Amino acid sequence: MSGFPCRLRYLAGLHEGRLHLLLPLNRTLGSGPPPIPPCSGSTATLRPCSSRAGSAMNIFDRKMKRRQKNWASSIPGSERYDYLKEEVGSRIVDRVFDIVRTFPVALDIGCGKGHIAEHLNKDTVQKLFQVDIAENVLKHPVETEIPTYRILADEEFLPFKENTFDLVLSSLSLHWVNDLPRAFKLINYSLKPDGVFIGAMMGGETLYELRCSLQLAELEREGGFAPHISPFTAVTDLGNLLEQAGFNMLTVDIDEIVVNYPGIFEVMEDLRGMGESNCAWSRKPLLHRDTMLAAAAIYKEMYGNDDGSVPATFQILYMIGWKPHESQAKPAQRGSATLSIGDLGKMSELITKKNKEF
Amino acid sequence: MTGKEVWTRARDRLRSFPRLVAACAEEASAYGRCVVANTQGSKDLRKDTCAKEFQALKSCFTLNAKKAR
Repeated sequence: MSGFPCRLRYLAGLHEGRLHLLLPLNRTLGSGPPPIPPCSGSTATLRPCSSRAGSAMNIFDRKMKRRQKNWASSIPGSERYDYLKEEVGSRIVDRVFDIVRTFPVALDIGCGKGHIAEHLNKDTVQKLFQVDIAENVLKHPVETEIPTYRILADEEFLPFKENTFDLVLSSLSLHWVNDLPRAFKLINYSLKPDGVFIGAMMGGETLYELRCSLQLAELEREGGFAPHISPFTAVTDLGNLLEQAGFNMLTVDIDEIVVNYPGIFEVMEDLRGMGESNCAWSRKPLLHRDTMLAAAAIYKEMYGNDDGSVPATFQILYMIGWKPHESQAKPAQRGSATLSIGDLGKMSELITKKNKEF
Repeated sequence: MTGKEVWTRARDRLRSFPRLVAACAEEASAYGRCVVANTQGSKDLRKDTCAKEFQALKSCFTLNAKKAR
């Protein structure tokens, strides 16, 4: 896999992260989504996230994903594809450090080579259990200073008892899970009360440049198009899912990492190397050479940077949810208000009156 | 499509794609501009809307591929 000269690959900074605080009311979120590129139809293919109990979805071929992950970790020089997972892992650990607490027992779901464990330290987490679906990946872990226990298990069928973990983490693996509501419920089940779940998964705007280029190329060359990028969860659905799973005090924020590549082929090669190849049942297994050529030309023309490189956007959704506990802040009781909203106009009067009283 | 050789040969040929595409930058850009122009406003992008530009790109591509071999 060698031989490509002067590969441009650097993180071109991140767009300002936007914080969305989700409450169980109908609140419209802040500023709108990034500008929609001139593609047909709506933005990304969004996963149908049903909220009906017992509705199982089968979107991804989990056996295929396992094979892809095994292959990706066994190729020589697979470390050079780890940059994205490492970066997201370190950002998740930043969020863990923000919580001033120690977590004796923690769980890492879809750990991969252990990019989260890499950045954690003994003071925060004393014992870490790592779970992944691919055995090769568990055999080549990255160095870490905390004692880890690696378990081969599927994210949708976590084999843990109730109230086991103080902290559950998941970095970039939940977007391949079929039954996301069930996965969240199991995570909630395995958490201790007042335990926290911090996760990161790919959002709807991920790889929109690649998606659009392939779509337009297929439309022009073949007269129709099939989805090549897997469907992602929408931010709004994520909040609902977490709430239904029983999490409290939810926080979801969006982050964008833009990575520049020499061209479309390098983008696809790196995605394969990361183990992020498409495994949706609806994927088209073959991509014609003409279509690839057309997509390369369209990608460069529509999204190319001045220096000849092309950007690829990874939109990451970070979510934090707590398992309910009596010590957590609750909404105030009805009728306990001491001021009314109508008094806001007289705020300055009230402040001076209070100062005079002292 | 039996046997591994088909896939190895296909993968080898694929490896030269980026270099060949880069060599035909002008034709690629012309094709790209045609496609983009046909997605704006009320235009409709259909099969072979930009067939002429694509043929120019493809012939440049195959020419470079033959030269490289």
